[in-house]
Amino acid sequence: MMRHDLIVIGAGPAGLSAAIEAARLGMDVAVFDENARPGGQLFKQIHKFFGSKEHHAKERGFRIGEDLLADAEKLGVAVHLNATVMGIYEGREVLVKHEDETVHAKADAIIIATGAAENMIPFTGWDKPGVIGAGAAQALMNLQGVMPGKRILMVGSGNVGLVVSFQLLQAGCEVAAVIDAAPRIGGYGVHAAKVARTGVPFYTRHTVVEALGKDRVEGAVIAEVDDHFQPIPGTEKTLDVDTICIAVGLSPMSQLADTAGCDLVLDRKRGGTVPVIDEYGETSVPNVYCAGDAAGIEEASTAMILGRISAIRAAEKAGFLGAAEFTARADEYAASLSKLRRGMFAPQNKGRTDMTETDEGYPLSKSLLAHGFLEPNEVSAFPCATVHEVGVHPVIECTQNIPCNPCQDACRFGCITVGDDIVKLPVIDETKRCTGCGMCVASCSGQAIFLVDEAYEPGYASVGIPYEFVPVPKAGARGHALNRAGAPICDAEVVSVKYTKAMDKTVLLTMKVPAEFASEARFYRD
Amino acid sequence: MAKIIRRAPETAFVPQPDDDLIICRCEEVTKGDIRRVVHAGLSTTNEVKRWLRCGMGLCQGQTCQRNFQGIIARELGVSPADIGRITGRSPVRPATITTFAHEVTEQKEA
Ligand SMILES: Cc1cc2nc3c(=O)[nH]c(=O)nc-3n(C[C@H](O)[C@H](O)[C@H](O)COP(=O)(O)OP(=O)(O)OC[C@H]3O[C@@H](n4cnc5c(N)ncnc54)[C@H](O)[C@@H]3O)c2cc1C
Ligand code: SF4
Ligand code: SF4
Repeated sequence: MMRHDLIVIGAGPAGLSAAIEAARLGMDVAVFDENARPGGQLFKQIHKFFGSKEHHAKERGFRIGEDLLADAEKLGVAVHLNATVMGIYEGREVLVKHEDETVHAKADAIIIATGAAENMIPFTGWDKPGVIGAGAAQALMNLQGVMPGKRILMVGSGNVGLVVSFQLLQAGCEVAAVIDAAPRIGGYGVHAAKVARTGVPFYTRHTVVEALGKDRVEGAVIAEVDDHFQPIPGTEKTLDVDTICIAVGLSPMSQLADTAGCDLVLDRKRGGTVPVIDEYGETSVPNVYCAGDAAGIEEASTAMILGRISAIRAAEKAGFLGAAEFTARADEYAASLSKLRRGMFAPQNKGRTDMTETDEGYPLSKSLLAHGFLEPNEVSAFPCATVHEVGVHPVIECTQNIPCNPCQDACRFGCITVGDDIVKLPVIDETKRCTGCGMCVASCSGQAIFLVDEAYEPGYASVGIPYEFVPVPKAGARGHALNRAGAPICDAEVVSVKYTKAMDKTVLLTMKVPAEFASEARFYRD
Repeated sequence: MAKIIRRAPETAFVPQPDDDLIICRCEEVTKGDIRRVVHAGLSTTNEVKRWLRCGMGLCQGQTCQRNFQGIIARELGVSPADIGRITGRSPVRPATITTFAHEVTEQKEA
C-alpha cells in the first residue's frame, strides 16, 4: 500500500494545478492518470487561450500543459501514467490499474479531477465508421498527425465544434458545414468568425438525420428542426462528406465520486451528473474533492484555479497551511475565478437568449450568432471595428463580452485598452501611434484583429490579417480577398508576410486590395 | 441521490420508425429494445441496464447512458433525474481478470 498526503486523480489542468499547489505547500502528492501522456485535454489544444495573463491567456493549450508538467516535475510530484483509478473505497483508498497490475494507495485527501467524456447523439447510421467525436478528430490530427477525413460535417457549434473545425481546416480538410440544432451558434463569435471567413457555411436550427454509405460514411443528410428540435420533413439536404464529427457537449465523469459514496446531482448547467460540492470543491464525503470538468463543464482556465482551491483546502485541513494564509489565498483565487466567469458565455448565462446588447450598450450582431460573421452594417456599431486613422491602424472585430485581454498587453504603444474588467470590449486610443508591428494581431486569441491602411497606395488599401495556415503565401503572391462570409470579393496581392518568434506561429499577412474593399477584405486565398 | 419515481407508460407500446436505431454500440441495444422493456414494466436506468446490458460494454455507459436514460424518461413522461443512473462501481473501467490477479500488496516505493 502506497501512502500519501494527497492523491490526485487525473493529470489534466485541474489535477496538475492541484498537485503543484499542494506540493509547494509541502504535501506528499501522487497523481494518477490513465493516459500515456499527461495534460488531459490540453495536449490536444493547439490554439491560443482566452483570459488574461494570470490565466495563461494567448498561450497555446499544449504549452500550458508543458509548463504545468515542468512545474510538477520541479516540485517532485510523482505523476503516474497509464495508471487508471478503478475505484475509491472507504478511508480514501484507491485501487489503481497500472499496466497489468493492480496497486492500492491511500491518502488523507483525494482530489477527483477526471474531466469529462464526449456526448454522442444517435441518428440513422451513427454507428458507421466515419462518425467520430470532436475529441477523436483532435487526437488524430494534433497527436497522431493523421487527417480524420477529407470532407467533414461538424455537428455542434459550441467552442469545441468551432475550435476543432478550424483545426480541421488547418490540417487540410474541407469543412462542408457546421450545424447546430439551437437557433444560435453556441461558441464565441470570434471563433465562429475565423471559420466563417474561410468560406465554411453555418446552419443553425439544423440537425443530422442520417449518415449515408454502405460500410462507412459516404454522405450526410441534414434537416431543419422545429421548436422541439424535431426534423421538419421536406427540409433535408444531402452533403457530400466522408466524416461526421460530433461536438455536442461533454458530460462530467462522475463514476469515481459515485464509488466513493459522494452525493451526486443531475445539474444541466454543470453538464450532467456531478457530485454535490462546497465552495472548495469538497464533496459530501469529507476530504474527497472534485475539481475541473468532473465537477462541471467549464474551461481549462477555470479548471486550473478550481484545482488550486481544492488543494489549499486539503492543505489547510491537514495542517500544511495556516488559517489566515488559507483565507487570503482562497480570496485571491475566488477573485481570479470571478474574472473568468463573466460575460455572455459565463456559466450563469448558459442558454440565455434574451441578450441583445453588449455591456457597453452596442447591439449584438444577430448575423454573428446565426451565420458566424458580422454584416457590414452591424460592424459599424462597434467603435473598435471602425477606426479610420491616417496610416496603418488596428481594426478590432471583437464584439461580444468574453473574458479576454491579450490585445491590451500586446501593444507596447498603448493603442489598445480593455481595462480591469476583462470581459469589456477593447477600446482603441486613436491618439497613440500604431507602428504596424503586428503583435496585437498575433496575440489575439480570437484572431479578430486586422491592421488596415486605407491609403496604402493611391486607389489601394492594405489589410493585415492573422494567418495560421501552411504553406504561408509569399510576398508578391496574387489571389483573392474574401469577405467575412468567406466569399471572394476582389483581387488581392500579398505585399508582406511578417513573422517573429514572439508571434508564436501566427503570421501577419498583409494584402493590397482596391481601397473600397478595405473594410470588407478579411481573408486571403491564392 | 434524487428519489426514484416509479411509473408505468400511459399508453400501449406503439412501434416507431427508428426503433432499430442502435443506442448502445458496445452491446448493440436498440431504441426499440429499450422502449419495449419499459412497456414490459422496467422503470429505472439500472433495471434497464441489467436486463438489456446497455451501458455494460467497453464504454461502461460513458457514451450511451445519457441517450438511453433519455429514451426511458421520455417513454415514462418523467425527467431523467427521476429514473436514476447507472451506479458507478469499481472497476470503473473494463479490466482483465489477469490484472486483478496481479495485485501488488507490498509497497514498492520508499
Ligand atoms: C476542442 C476543445 C477546445 C478547448 N478550448 C479551450 C480554451 O480555449 N480555453 C480553455 O480554457 N479551455 C478550453 N477547453 C476546455 C478544457 O480543455 C477543459 O475544460 C479542461 O481540460 C478540463 O480540465 P480537467 O483537468 O478538469 O480535465 P481533463 O483535461 O479532461 O483531464 C482529466 C484527466 O483525467 C484522466 N482520468 C480520467 N479518468 C481517470 C481515471 N479513472 N483514472 C486515472 N485518470 C483518469 C484523463 O486521462 C485526463 O488526463 C477546450 C476543450 C476542448 C475539447
Ligand atoms: S500593430 Fe503594434 S503598434 Fe499597432 S496596435 Fe497592434 S500592437 Fe499596437
Ligand atoms: S480582441 Fe482582445 S479581447 Fe477580443 S479576442 Fe482578441 S485578444 Fe481577446
